[in-house]
Amino acid sequence: MTIASKVPPVLDKAVERAPRAHRAGEGSPWVRSQRRSRFAFIAPALAIYAAIVIVPTLYTVWISFTSWAGIGPMQFVGLQNYTRMFRDPVFLESFRNTIVILVGGGILVFALSFTLTMLLQNMWGRRAVRMVIFFPTIVPAVVVSMLWGFLFNQDGLINQVLRFIGVKNPPLWLGTDLLFTTIVLGMVWLASGMYTVILMAAADGIPKELYEVADIEGASMWQKFRYVTFPMMADVIGVCAALWAIGALKAFEFFLTFAGTTGMLPPRRVWNFALYSYASAFAPESIPNFGISAASGLVVLLLTGVFTVLSLRVVREKVSR
Amino acid sequence: MSAIDASTPRPVVRSRAARARAAVVRPLLLPFAWSLAAFDVFVISWMFLGSFKTTRELLLEPFGLPREWMFVNYAEAWRAAHLGDGVLNSVILVLASGVLILVIAAPAAYALSRFGGRGSGALSVLFILGLGVPVQTMVLPLYVMFRQVGLIDSILGLVIINVGVGIPYAFFLLTAFFRSIPHEIEESAAIDGASTSYTFWRISLPLVRSGLITVFVLQAIGHWGETFFALVMLPTQETVSLSLLNFMQSMQASGARYSVLFAGLSIVVIPLLVLYIWLGSRMIEGIAQGYSK
Repeated sequence: MTIASKVPPVLDKAVERAPRAHRAGEGSPWVRSQRRSRFAFIAPALAIYAAIVIVPTLYTVWISFTSWAGIGPMQFVGLQNYTRMFRDPVFLESFRNTIVILVGGGILVFALSFTLTMLLQNMWGRRAVRMVIFFPTIVPAVVVSMLWGFLFNQDGLINQVLRFIGVKNPPLWLGTDLLFTTIVLGMVWLASGMYTVILMAAADGIPKELYEVADIEGASMWQKFRYVTFPMMADVIGVCAALWAIGALKAFEFFLTFAGTTGMLPPRRVWNFALYSYASAFAPESIPNFGISAASGLVVLLLTGVFTVLSLRVVREKVSR
Repeated sequence: MSAIDASTPRPVVRSRAARARAAVVRPLLLPFAWSLAAFDVFVISWMFLGSFKTTRELLLEPFGLPREWMFVNYAEAWRAAHLGDGVLNSVILVLASGVLILVIAAPAAYALSRFGGRGSGALSVLFILGLGVPVQTMVLPLYVMFRQVGLIDSILGLVIINVGVGIPYAFFLLTAFFRSIPHEIEESAAIDGASTSYTFWRISLPLVRSGLITVFVLQAIGHWGETFFALVMLPTQETVSLSLLNFMQSMQASGARYSVLFAGLSIVVIPLLVLYIWLGSRMIEGIAQGYSK
């Protein structure tokens, strides 16, 4: 599931690939045979997709208007869950954290990926580098985040290195003040490999002549980036932005792993939407509140939709221009 | 146009200067360009080396080879951390979900991309919209539903979820592959009197073999370390990620056994590494191509 959601290729391509009528005549036995089999071909996929994705999602909308512990009677409460949620300081903190990851983390990821893409152009060993930096993408986030935690332990490798180079009191990366920053950095590390690979491929697709012309015109490295590379890659960047938004909104494992010594869940100060939603329904120490969980899940769905549409619209505009 | 003649020499000179500058700057940038890759290699080797050390050695001497190779860590992880159970369940999950997704999604992708007919476009869009639905909006009704039919704590239940959640992506990729088959091949099959399902199973499906493999591999990678649904749906069963999380939890009570945990992490990573060495460059080509078009 995770990689699948990480790497859907250009989303909007599929939409325009709406099937056209077969070239054989409408009435030919071949076409009639296809029409007859159509149902049998589609029904199983549609049935299980509806049962696991569509119906539960619609039902979640209903749950979000009720007060329910997941068992026993459901009570319709209208928009109360939403109003309560937006007054809940924990939710607001989760909201803030999610946006920080989305925007702040996003800026870091793209700054890093772009820098690496530019540096690696024509650089020796770029294929090997590409091969290595993509690997973490396929490793389960649970594994990556555990390693990340050990690296940033109080006496972990990072702090040992810091002490070695003369930092007297290296920071407590996993303390409540810095934990969130540490998590965001880890997500940035995990994501930059994948985006660098994508951006490198896009950069390779730019015709060499454009750079030759720029060279003849005496463009600096920055100018070449600003006026050749960046505009030529606009649509790929849009897709990457959409992917980052979708991934950042539902990031879960990276947070869960840092439960530390507090029990099953990490400290509330670092929660994001996914964790808030999970904790509202499944936290072991409190009464399950499915209504709130459903409402916050729907906020994620809504934001995912908004960001995807936004990113793809930017792409379309760039393409049609 | 005479202005060009006058200005031509200057840019050439400048570009030579720029090139000279690049020749000086580039070797200096090389270490930076390699930094992320170097860091990744470092972390992976640190994990593998650590998995053969004692916990004490792992903490005090993180660099360098283990003094004594503690293969026993792996046995510990397999048994004490229940990774054996986790691996078994995860392998079943990966294989069953992957095969079922292909068997169910491929016919739908084929029909909607080749047969035409009313509503095909709308149905395709409906399937693909599933790519954007976050797990949080499906999990509550699924949990309640599965509890009623006794599919909580059942690997079968998780397989069903994996299949439903995986269909959009499989559908999406396979549609692209089916579209690339020339119509002539199916037409000649039709002229020879082949039925639609015969054409699909015997002619079209083998033609998109690389697409099937791609889908299977990507789904397998995702299902291998899947955490969210496993956590909610399997209160007592193990999968690889649940075993790791449980073991980490248990260390809070039983004391730090980092080297065993590192062995556990290695057990989860090794199959992926093998897969990556085998298929990695093709995987990267595929992803790079899919986006840069």
